[in-house]
Amino acid sequence: MGCSSSLPDRSAGRLSGLNNAENSGVPDAKNLRVKLVLLGDSGVGKSCIVLRFVRGQFDPTSKVVTVGASFLSQTIALQDSTTVKFEIWDTAGQERYAALAPLYYRGAGVAVIVYDITSPESFTKAQYWVKELQKHGSPDIVMALVGNKADLHENREVPVQDGIDYAEKNGMFFIETSAKTADNINQLFEEIAKRLPRPSSS
Amino acid sequence: MENADVFLGLQDFLERMRQPSAADFVKSIKSFIVSFSNNAPDPERDSAAVQSFLANMEADFRAHPLWAGCSEEELDSAGEGLEKYVMTKLFTRVFASLPDDVKHDEQLSEKMALIQQFVRPENLDIKPNFQNETSWLLAQKELQKINMYKAPRDKLVCILNCCKVINNLLLNASIASNENPPGADEFLPVLIYVTIKANPPQLHSNLLYIQRYRRQSRLVAEAAYFFTNMLSAESFISSIDAKALSMEETEFEKNMEFARALLSGLSTDVDGLSSQIDQIAGHDPGESTESRHKTLKEDHLVQPKSLETKPSNKEDQLSITKIPSISELENRGAAMLLKEDQTSKVFRDYPYLFAHAGDLTISDVEDLLNNYKQLVFKYVSLLKGSGGGSATFPSSGSLAQAHHHVETVKESAENRVLEQNIGLPKDTDTVDDGPNRVSNQENIESDFSKDEVVPPSKDNHDDTSE
Repeated sequence: MGCSSSLPDRSAGRLSGLNNAENSGVPDAKNLRVKLVLLGDSGVGKSCIVLRFVRGQFDPTSKVVTVGASFLSQTIALQDSTTVKFEIWDTAGQERYAALAPLYYRGAGVAVIVYDITSPESFTKAQYWVKELQKHGSPDIVMALVGNKADLHENREVPVQDGIDYAEKNGMFFIETSAKTADNINQLFEEIAKRLPRPSSS
Repeated sequence: MENADVFLGLQDFLERMRQPSAADFVKSIKSFIVSFSNNAPDPERDSAAVQSFLANMEADFRAHPLWAGCSEEELDSAGEGLEKYVMTKLFTRVFASLPDDVKHDEQLSEKMALIQQFVRPENLDIKPNFQNETSWLLAQKELQKINMYKAPRDKLVCILNCCKVINNLLLNASIASNENPPGADEFLPVLIYVTIKANPPQLHSNLLYIQRYRRQSRLVAEAAYFFTNMLSAESFISSIDAKALSMEETEFEKNMEFARALLSGLSTDVDGLSSQIDQIAGHDPGESTESRHKTLKEDHLVQPKSLETKPSNKEDQLSITKIPSISELENRGAAMLLKEDQTSKVFRDYPYLFAHAGDLTISDVEDLLNNYKQLVFKYVSLLKGSGGGSATFPSSGSLAQAHHHVETVKESAENRVLEQNIGLPKDTDTVDDGPNRVSNQENIESDFSKDEVVPPSKDNHDDTSE
């Protein structure tokens, strides 16, 4: 389904986050920390995108390594010498869990809404999430629309233009990715990082 | 990152508080705790008061000569010690202190007791490759420990340990079945299933308590994520209906009714119910009722155990010393079997033991599966009952692995938190006044005076490991 090779290091699992000194560092204008929530139908490859992003830039000295892919964090450095630490919250995409999403996107600075370009239903579901966030999300949340599984272009059922148009109409960033080939994965997160509101420098 | 030694956090904190220069701190802590006894419980106000008190004290620690030259970890550890001390003292005042919360706990627990009778992994979208009920018992066990502790952190650790077991199992399953690595699509349904089956005591109150009294600056990142998953599991369970489980309304109601009958009539006629179970399950009543009947009886016997709400550490330790290990029992039994003349007679009750695959028919599958489930459950219960962690169930590698992760490995850094947690019961006792005694000035005094404090034993975790 897209990222079968993207296994995290099995031996590296540990329970972090309880007394994480990295988290006690106060974010400043140069070092941003942002909560990113992933929304989208089950099976569109949400966690694969994250794993690809985190693994692609895997730093063996990184001390924050997690079991599973439902929560991951990754720091990227931008050209202007700022860093952005993403804390990535995955959500369960099955319909029966949709009502729980507010618990997850509360306080999120970024929402990445993922669909599968071979599944029109998942595109419809993505639009549902966009509307939901416009209604109930924080007003200054940065939203990105992502058409995943771009490697499966032979089975494409959602035209690129549909994604572009919908995103433009809703003031979102749009990109098509492939977690399998790693296509556009880093671009997605870099683009998001650039769009984050900067705290007024003091 | 090396985890700050939280296990020693409280001890270290208490030691510093005994220094003459800490007199002002001691005074503030005392008066803060005493101030609580003057007011009726008001969760919002109380939570805000605790959060700001902890924040202010931590800032004061940072500026005080007692901690001069200390690392962030040591300061953090002091903060943990303070939180644990204060919340252990305030526990009886602020935990489940409102009648509404108590009621909510009861309703939630009742609902889980009913739903656990019939919910299937499929009802929650858990894919067959990721189903592993036997091993999930380990995750349930972590969750059921939640009332063994009073400090918010310790309760939170129970939740995180449960999540960690689930994550390990999912990861193993994904590797074994060549599936994508598990994300939230896989994780949340299992957490919900495990929670329903565990029916952890006072779940609602425990979650509120952690949310209100765990220092907010420490409930972040991964801990916050998994805690949110637990909140979300609670929310899902509270509002479970037919649709949430993809059941027909009538089927759901029937199941609930049957579960109620089952729970209320533990001692009543089981035979009368067996026809109902066939109806509900949609089986042909004529076909192998006998085996299902047995399963039902088995469930009956098992039920009171799964409803047990207060695992007691003392009991565990007691049974550890009394009962020989599983492998000892096994060896003893095997030796006795070999001495018997007609060994095959012993196995008469196990019709499939000497069967060949070719002998089996499709209709045997259900029977076999039932037998298997009973066997597994008995084995795991025995294992749990004996308190031994060394024996492993031969046909379930992932069970062994998860068990290994949670209970036996001590060397690796990833298990430090767990290890520390194992050491906590005694540690907690030194602060604990027991749940029934109200904190007062006198015992606060004694905590900080040199002679009265019994330092927590460093050998703690070795006590529980054998």
